[in-house]
Amino acid sequence: MLVDFGVIKRAQKGDSAAFNEIVQVYRKRIMGTITRLIARPEDVEDVAQEVFLRLYFSLDQLRTAEVFEPWLYRLTVNAAYDYLRKARRRQEYRMSDLSEQQVMMADAVAGGKAEQDERQQKQVREAVDSLLGAVSEADRILLMLKEVEGLSLKELEKVYKVNENALKVRLFRARQRVLKAFGAEKKDGPANTGELR
Amino acid sequence: MVPMHGGANRKEEDLDVLFQAYRAACPDRDPSVNFMPGLWQRIEARQRFTFSFRRMVSGFVTAAAAATLALGMYMAIPHTPRAYPVSYVDALADANSLENPDTVGPVQMELSGPGR
Repeated sequence: MLVDFGVIKRAQKGDSAAFNEIVQVYRKRIMGTITRLIARPEDVEDVAQEVFLRLYFSLDQLRTAEVFEPWLYRLTVNAAYDYLRKARRRQEYRMSDLSEQQVMMADAVAGGKAEQDERQQKQVREAVDSLLGAVSEADRILLMLKEVEGLSLKELEKVYKVNENALKVRLFRARQRVLKAFGAEKKDGPANTGELR
Repeated sequence: MVPMHGGANRKEEDLDVLFQAYRAACPDRDPSVNFMPGLWQRIEARQRFTFSFRRMVSGFVTAAAAATLALGMYMAIPHTPRAYPVSYVDALADANSLENPDTVGPVQMELSGPGR
């Protein structure tokens, strides 16, 4: 655990400095996780704030130190899931929605290695996003936590509060669906995923 | 480059490589300078909302308790029945006198109209 349980205890009693300390220790990691879960960089900070807002108002329910991190992951997963559900209802992100500044920045990076790297990373992100379109938002998050975040089944068990076997079954099915989509994508457009790494 | 192989195992491996590449393509990022002020603004807004909601609920509860108490007190006060000087039958007889009946008597029908 990255913070002492004493700090959490102080935050539970309403100490804002202690709460700030918790946020500062975990925010980078949480934002990274959210970035990978929702794949919308422009909304990551907003979702991260929502996670810490939920943490602030539910901190008094925490009893033991060892459940803090799984619990924070749980809040993150729930916030990401809520975001993805809302995002599905919203119109898709379009080029016309970009601000003038963003378009200028996009133009500015055109040319050079940075642009090449960025283009490759963008390809990877798009490829994974497209593959994960084959599963539900809930399964997308589960797969991300397991395959990308690297959480173990034991850790996932604590996050989801379901037994390991149920998680294994769900993960297996989700992975099979993604593999099927992966196979189809490779057949249809190898250029999409063939230039990775 | 990710090698594209045939076979289920190769496909599994390729998918794992893709997930790892995704991890690298979306690194942990630093929050903006507005992160903490924005967070505290949201916390305070939620606190204000919760406070005013609680105050409103407590106002409703107080009003409901006061109304219940008032109604209870009203119901508890013994009400004496109004004393009537005459009986119901006498009052009815006075109201519908037989000397001036308003509904008794044959019905008059005008059969010879202007068109007949």
